[in-house]
Amino acid sequence: MNRLIIIDSNKCTGCGLCQMACSIHRNGQCEASLARILIYRDEKAGIFIPMTCRQCTDPPCAAACLMNVISKDYETGITIRNLEGCISCRVCQVACPFAASIFNYLQERVENCDQCGGDPQCVKYCPYGALKYTDLTDNMDLVRDAEAKRRLLP
Amino acid sequence: MRKSIGYAGLILEVDLSEQHLRVRELPDDMCRGYLGGIGFNARIVYDQVPAGTDPLGPDNVLVFGVGAMVGSPFPTASRTEVSAKSPMTGLFGTSNSGMFFGIQLKNAGFDALVIKGQSPTPVYLLIEDGSVNILGAAEIWGQDSWAALDILKNKYPGAEAALIGPAGENRVRFACIENSYYDAWARTGLGAVMGAKKLKAIVVRGRQGLSPHRTDSFIEIAWKARQLIESSPFFQPFKSYGSMNAAMPYGSFKALNAHNFNRGCLPDWKENFARNKVEELTKGHIACQSCIIACAHWVEIREGPYQGLKMKDMEVTPTVSFGSGCGMSLEACVKAAEMGQRYGMDMVSAASVMAMAAEMFTRGTITAEELGYELNFGDDVAMLRLMDDIAHRRGLGDILAEGAKLAGQKIAGGEEYAMHIKGLEMPMIDPRGRFSTWSLGMLTNVRGGDHLRCRNPIENLRYNENKFAYQKERFGFDQKMYEALDMPDHLKKKAIDLEADTTDIAIMSRWAEDLINLFNALGVCIRPPVEHKIGPTILAEAFTAWTGMEMTAEELMCAAERIWNVMKLFNLREGEKTEDSRFPGRFYQEDGGAVKLDEQQITRVLRQYYQARGWEPDSGRPSPEKIKELGLD
Repeated sequence: MNRLIIIDSNKCTGCGLCQMACSIHRNGQCEASLARILIYRDEKAGIFIPMTCRQCTDPPCAAACLMNVISKDYETGITIRNLEGCISCRVCQVACPFAASIFNYLQERVENCDQCGGDPQCVKYCPYGALKYTDLTDNMDLVRDAEAKRRLLP
Repeated sequence: MRKSIGYAGLILEVDLSEQHLRVRELPDDMCRGYLGGIGFNARIVYDQVPAGTDPLGPDNVLVFGVGAMVGSPFPTASRTEVSAKSPMTGLFGTSNSGMFFGIQLKNAGFDALVIKGQSPTPVYLLIEDGSVNILGAAEIWGQDSWAALDILKNKYPGAEAALIGPAGENRVRFACIENSYYDAWARTGLGAVMGAKKLKAIVVRGRQGLSPHRTDSFIEIAWKARQLIESSPFFQPFKSYGSMNAAMPYGSFKALNAHNFNRGCLPDWKENFARNKVEELTKGHIACQSCIIACAHWVEIREGPYQGLKMKDMEVTPTVSFGSGCGMSLEACVKAAEMGQRYGMDMVSAASVMAMAAEMFTRGTITAEELGYELNFGDDVAMLRLMDDIAHRRGLGDILAEGAKLAGQKIAGGEEYAMHIKGLEMPMIDPRGRFSTWSLGMLTNVRGGDHLRCRNPIENLRYNENKFAYQKERFGFDQKMYEALDMPDHLKKKAIDLEADTTDIAIMSRWAEDLINLFNALGVCIRPPVEHKIGPTILAEAFTAWTGMEMTAEELMCAAERIWNVMKLFNLREGEKTEDSRFPGRFYQEDGGAVKLDEQQITRVLRQYYQARGWEPDSGRPSPEKIKELGLD
């Protein structure tokens, strides 16, 4: 069963704990730009939109990859990277429409969210339930709602 | 890129007169002795600002100290303290703010930023990942802080900025330093210090990233802290209503500033400022870095003269100061907050001098001719007009921009309407309606009339009865709350009498001041659910895991006490006297709808406080033994 991190940006307070959680758990270092989730902030509109890998069925990052190291795990639905073959050209970053491919400057390679192997830390830390880790089939309404809001925002 | 454990490890010194930069390493003993944030500031200001320095002259030193645990996922660790000699009080000026400035400064490589001298022309400072530049500010000088921020954020995407508005440029004595759009280092006039240095903004951007000394145990401790905060009975109310929670009970105790402390509550306060009215205007929560509470709200005004106004607002202190102190409508309070942010003015002080002016007008001390218009309590338009005059130092606004104390001296007959302690205007709490740890804390506060440096961690907003007036306040909680309070046993027994259901005000004040100092040193927020549940024990565990410096709970509290004493010694060096710790005369002569204060009783509890601090009870000075014990000799 595929599960996905679903974002309800209306609930996001902009605290950045998702980024802290991701960064400290995956890198041992606290730094938002190392996190595999980012927050688009429009302070003057009071809007915060977290964005992370949407685990696309046909990922543009994989299509763009020069070395063919990005592929889909159809059992979990996760977009995976074989980092040994990665040449850090960052073309996948350009290809991602959601800016969800993150360049890790410590490792000098591009990463995307892998849902922490089924226990995503960002979801655990989110204090307002803006992030949910849930079964897609049961929650299409939520996904549609979140997506519709995302599209309607300036 | 350098890997930093807990601290960024460097202090940046900028001399604006010489256009000179200096970076020095953060010494270990500074970390152990003063922790960070307010601790660094206290030591640096004490050491570098000579006695008698003109607060608006080149010799004053403005220090930004980032809390030691800022940059970590410890809940609410986001806060930065700014300090200098205050142009309001002539004493230790200091203010604390959260959001994202601190984490950016630390990620750019610095735990503290020390600004000296005075630039001949307007400049701003750009700090990016270890590189520092002093740049010309011609483009943004003269702009209100939001317009200036738009330009800076456009130029440096992802950066944070501390900056001043026109009030700071015009050296309005209670000008503040804005922290991005909606927050500020507001109290004690630090924006005027920055304006006098001709420093418009400090722009910071960094991505160095900090690492815990022991990652796994730090993650575990931070998570435990989060669960503790969430278990506080104050957590849900604060999450839902933010600081506006306190407004209703204080109103019912007649313990709110109404019309310049003429009475304890306005008659229609409940209807006009009730929760449901606040809820109508607010939507969504806004958090500082790493905060799980998100007490701030997004406010949108949909109708009336201020229609279309959107901003982060509805914080209790400015709302009560404008709403109850000046009698303004809820919507006009939001407008006043917008002006306060754009102009860069401390809203508590601004509201206080506005209320003072309205009272002087009502009593005929000043006239409509002098003002240029009539100024009655509750007249939104006139009040906002006066606020504009103050920021731009126009007409009588020029005198009021000096703050209540100096304005009271300059305007004949004005002194008795100046509601300040040690030169700093009092916030919204009226001690006549409820004398508590909070009230005593306004007198003992190193920064003057202010309520944020001393608050009982188990503040009880439900009661104001006073069986043992001035000595005790009602404890009002059960045994479980008593046991869960993180306080050394011997002290807890002295501070709280479970059988009599009382808290000793003097002893609790001392503990609360040190505890809040510790929070301000580590960069943790003092919101009630945090202050209630997070004590020195878990902070010591977190500090040790984060920095790798072994510190016990006692050692942390000792450092916090040392910081408080250093600030007090600074004040004494500047000539603070015991008689300065006094409420304005009105509080002893008029009952304000509650009871007149008893001066003798207050002197008695102050003496008890000095004793609890290990200070000389007559002079209120730290005793030689205390100074020696804290290693300050």
